[in-house]
Amino acid sequence: MWIVSAPLPRTAAALRPPAPPRPVRAGRRGAALSAGLGIAALFVAIRLGLPGARLEVGHVLGDFVTLAISVVVESLPFVVLGILLSLGVQILLPADFLVRRLPRRRLPRRVLVSLLGVLLPVCECGNVPLARGLVLGRLRVDEAMTFLLAAPIVNPITIVTTYTAFHFGGGILVARVVGGFLIANLVGWLFSRHPDPMSLLTPSFAQACAVEGHAAHRGGRMRRMAHGFAEETASVLPALFVGAAVAAGIQVLVSRQVLVTLGGNPLWSVLALMALAFVVAVCSNVDAFFILSFGATFMPGAIVAFLTFGAMIDVKMVALIRTTFRWRTIAALGVVVALGCAVLGLAVNHLA
Amino acid sequence: MPSRLLARWQGVLLTLTGVVATVWLGLTGHLELYIHPRYVVFTVVMAVLAGALVLAWLVLDAARPAAGPADAAAGHDGHDDEADDPATPRRALRALRATGTLALVVAAVVGLLVLPPTTLSSATAQQRTVNAAAGSLASSTTPELVGGDYASFTVKDWASLIRQGEQPDFFAGKKVTLVGFVTPDPSDPKNDFFLTRFVITCCAVDAQPIGVAVYQPGWSAHLSVNEWVQVTGGFATNPSVSSDQAIALVPSDVRPTSQPAQPYEY
Repeated sequence: MWIVSAPLPRTAAALRPPAPPRPVRAGRRGAALSAGLGIAALFVAIRLGLPGARLEVGHVLGDFVTLAISVVVESLPFVVLGILLSLGVQILLPADFLVRRLPRRRLPRRVLVSLLGVLLPVCECGNVPLARGLVLGRLRVDEAMTFLLAAPIVNPITIVTTYTAFHFGGGILVARVVGGFLIANLVGWLFSRHPDPMSLLTPSFAQACAVEGHAAHRGGRMRRMAHGFAEETASVLPALFVGAAVAAGIQVLVSRQVLVTLGGNPLWSVLALMALAFVVAVCSNVDAFFILSFGATFMPGAIVAFLTFGAMIDVKMVALIRTTFRWRTIAALGVVVALGCAVLGLAVNHLA
Repeated sequence: MPSRLLARWQGVLLTLTGVVATVWLGLTGHLELYIHPRYVVFTVVMAVLAGALVLAWLVLDAARPAAGPADAAAGHDGHDDEADDPATPRRALRALRATGTLALVVAAVVGLLVLPPTTLSSATAQQRTVNAAAGSLASSTTPELVGGDYASFTVKDWASLIRQGEQPDFFAGKKVTLVGFVTPDPSDPKNDFFLTRFVITCCAVDAQPIGVAVYQPGWSAHLSVNEWVQVTGGFATNPSVSSDQAIALVPSDVRPTSQPAQPYEY
């Protein structure tokens, strides 16, 4: 049962046929173009008009803004890269290109999907649009979910940065890559047992899946690219901006001292760093450097739990995947991933 | 209709905000206040690419009547489940969503385009605990530090040398001039302050405060917290009784200075 041919009991009523392509009047196009250019000019004017203004905000508020901007500016290029790769998969490749080349049998198929991250060096902020694109490109929901969880970890940039930070010390690198791979495939297997995968998606995204088949073939490639870009940014960027503000707010307000004192306990260190991973939401490409500063105080299993759990699920990720999955799905996903990461961390601590 | 228009445009508006902010920060050299220099080219290139895509959208697609998926995929923020229920007052919901979108765009414009770019301050340095990371940050480089060119040593180099437990006679007689901002030493705030810098590995989010203790009783009378200062002096066993910093810089000269062009260390 592929996504596109799936019955849509919950959304069938809301499904409308796509608007027929009407010719666009030159006047409307001109209006849209000049409105867009006008807004862009306004933004530039605002930025250029005020660089000298020393608006004094307090240190805490100022740091909040700096941290939030840092998350946005750091993530934005990866989001754009992810959208471009995702649209490339959808538009430039024939619709069944990926599907045809993947094995039919479910298990090896999911294993290969989870290894796609090796070819697509995108961090977690960028791979939500990519996973959305994969679902639109006729992958099953559980397969897209496996990709979503595995790609940030089984990813050349992540592997290189983790190696740079820890080398092979404490088995952290191996435990992260192998453990992340196994957990992603476990989650994929669990969700593949679900009787009605479409009900895992938000209604509006399921609807987009059903309609996209027709809509994606209207207009030239460039227009479809532009259309898809506007659509994907509309659903991913609000979440990123809100997530950045939440991450910055937590960093400014919550004391880390409490967490650091927990570092020596085999159980609590794992749970503490998983909680930290959830709130700080650092990209999986670079979270190894972030957690390196805890390397001296926390047990290696806690570091591994941080690196696997944080790459799969954190505040920002929840906000991003909310555009695709229902709350119930996210909760189930979170519980399974959290349990898997906790077991992984405890095992590493036990062996250490 | 305005709410639907806004939903259609919100991704483009947020992208434009990010693009203008990123390119301007890149051109003025301020991008390094937020991200590591090695990401600057990549970030600016992707921003320009995003700008080109926005332009392509304006020319090719913005004026077209919205198709089903354009409406569907645009702007969900936690109320999708209700969309199934025909009894939900959808107009009110849409108005609420439009207000939220507008507020988000305004907040993004204020944060990214109105406020002047700034570094992190001593508030975050204290929250993150100065030198919590000094030991591990330099673990691979410190062996090379001993016997190096001390004149070119940064605050980070000295902080990690002190942290790794070099003996007091190693520091004796070494004169330095260092620049950093003032953060109180929590174990003896009356007599000690930290000459502090942030070390960035990727972006400001992972900034770790490092610093060397400066022993100057009554420093708060003429220095303010978060002020940038240039300190000249020699290292010695910290005369402070209550401070947990074993080695401190005993200054011969402390003068206020302006924030350096590269406020972070890497």
